[in-house]
Amino acid sequence: MRIVANLQVCQGHARCEDLCPEVFSTDAVEGKVVIEQSEFAPELEDKVRMAVRNCPEGALRIAKGTKA
Amino acid sequence: MTLQWAPSPPDHVPADLIVDFDFFQTPEGLTDPVQIWHDLVRRGVPPIFYTPRNGGHWVFLKYSDIVEGYRNHEIFSTYQTPIPPIEPFPVMQPQGVDPPDHNIFRKLLAPMFTPLAVRRMTDGLQHRAETMIASFADKGGCDFIADYASRFPTGTFLDLFGLPEERLPEFLALSETFFRSTDPAVRAQNLTDIYAVLEVLFRDKERNPGSDIASTIVTARDENGNQHPWQDILNCGFLLFVAGLDTVTNTMAYVWRYLASAPEARAQFRERLDDPVAFQLAIEELMRINAVSNIFRRVTQDCEYKGIQFRRNDRVILSNTLANRDASVFQNPQAIDLDRQVNNHVTFGVGPHRCMGSHLAKREIMISLQEWLRQIPDFELAEDQDKGSIFGGSVMGFTSLKLRW
Ligand code: HEM
Ligand code: SF4
Repeated sequence: MRIVANLQVCQGHARCEDLCPEVFSTDAVEGKVVIEQSEFAPELEDKVRMAVRNCPEGALRIAKGTKA
Repeated sequence: MTLQWAPSPPDHVPADLIVDFDFFQTPEGLTDPVQIWHDLVRRGVPPIFYTPRNGGHWVFLKYSDIVEGYRNHEIFSTYQTPIPPIEPFPVMQPQGVDPPDHNIFRKLLAPMFTPLAVRRMTDGLQHRAETMIASFADKGGCDFIADYASRFPTGTFLDLFGLPEERLPEFLALSETFFRSTDPAVRAQNLTDIYAVLEVLFRDKERNPGSDIASTIVTARDENGNQHPWQDILNCGFLLFVAGLDTVTNTMAYVWRYLASAPEARAQFRERLDDPVAFQLAIEELMRINAVSNIFRRVTQDCEYKGIQFRRNDRVILSNTLANRDASVFQNPQAIDLDRQVNNHVTFGVGPHRCMGSHLAKREIMISLQEWLRQIPDFELAEDQDKGSIFGGSVMGFTSLKLRW
């Protein structure tokens, strides 16, 4: 599984970074999400799902499989 | 504030959508100003209704409509929105500008308000919290608003703008008048005074730029290499002055008022003092339940939304406290659950104008609370707390909050 962010929609609330800093951070210019590791370790799955569900903009999505 | 009835409700509003609601008025005996909004839901008024008060405006009650109001800037504009209407109103940068032009000042400010930038302010905020709380910790009580919640964000503002601490009383006086005065003549003079201060400040930073926000704004260049229009620079300074003071003050007031009467919640926060992630999660719930701002929009064109006719220039209020306690989005919405797992609150707005100061505001509150609990682990509402010291309006809150310990 990997995580995909829509940067058009992200407004930099940084809820994802607060909830799962292993996978998400924010950039220094616009404060938008940066995915540190798009294919995350299985033990992080719960935290990643929490981050996705708490994004107020719906900018994050979990996709199946690895990058084509 | 002069309260005005529109001569009569406009003819595009059907009678069954009209509710008499004045968001400045808090009934005698009420102790929590957000309740005037939740009463509307309890009364079962239509989810989108029109009130003729304060020049006439719509109110959205549901989370989904409020979020649409934030996101759909083509219909719901932030340009010239005050309720009751004041025209012309300063075009606050970037809040009063719609995309795409909105992005000019938003981009300019963004690097100074990112989580990374705010983390760098931690030491300064920590120092301010420590010294301010230490100044009254052994006194056994304080007026939380006057002694802390208004001084802390105002001091932070001075830091951001590269101004010396000695000017705190002057800025406290300016903001006190701005937020609390209802006399039109006093308000007009106060606006003139604030702009005069900003003019001197930006001229000074233009000559002697530092690493502060005012210097960054005044020395920034547009895509043609020119300074931004002077009036926009002043209006951006003005927005930063009004956006981050009363909001933080009253959010803090709500949080401390709640903790003063909730010993279990105080204990839960104390237990989390060494676990910033858990502390942060609990703060997020306090942000949801204590949403102090009601946000205005102006309809840009005659149109139909959800089967209702809107006319160009109609005003709309998006009340964050209503969105945040919508039972179709939040489980057990009126309850404070410090372990709430899914919490998409809109206390800082959503969409293009999402509060740029949200990371700073949360950090101000978090550091203040951590330091407070270290120095004053237990506290309660003082018996002489005046029950009537509340106000409604675009920011809701308290004029005093007496605590003792
Ligand atoms: C708890 C405290 C705060 C609350 C509840 C709050 C709330 C909000 C809300 C709801 C908006 C959206 C306005 C709209 O959509 O029209 C907003 C915008 C804004 N806020 Fe805050 N705010 C807070 C603190 C701060 C602080 C501390 C600052 C900066 C020092 C700040 C700066 C801004 C700015 C610059 C905007 C405009 C962003 C834009 O238009 O793109 N706010 N705030
Ligand atoms: S929570 Fe959503 S909007 Fe906020 S930074 Fe993360 S992806 Fe962006």
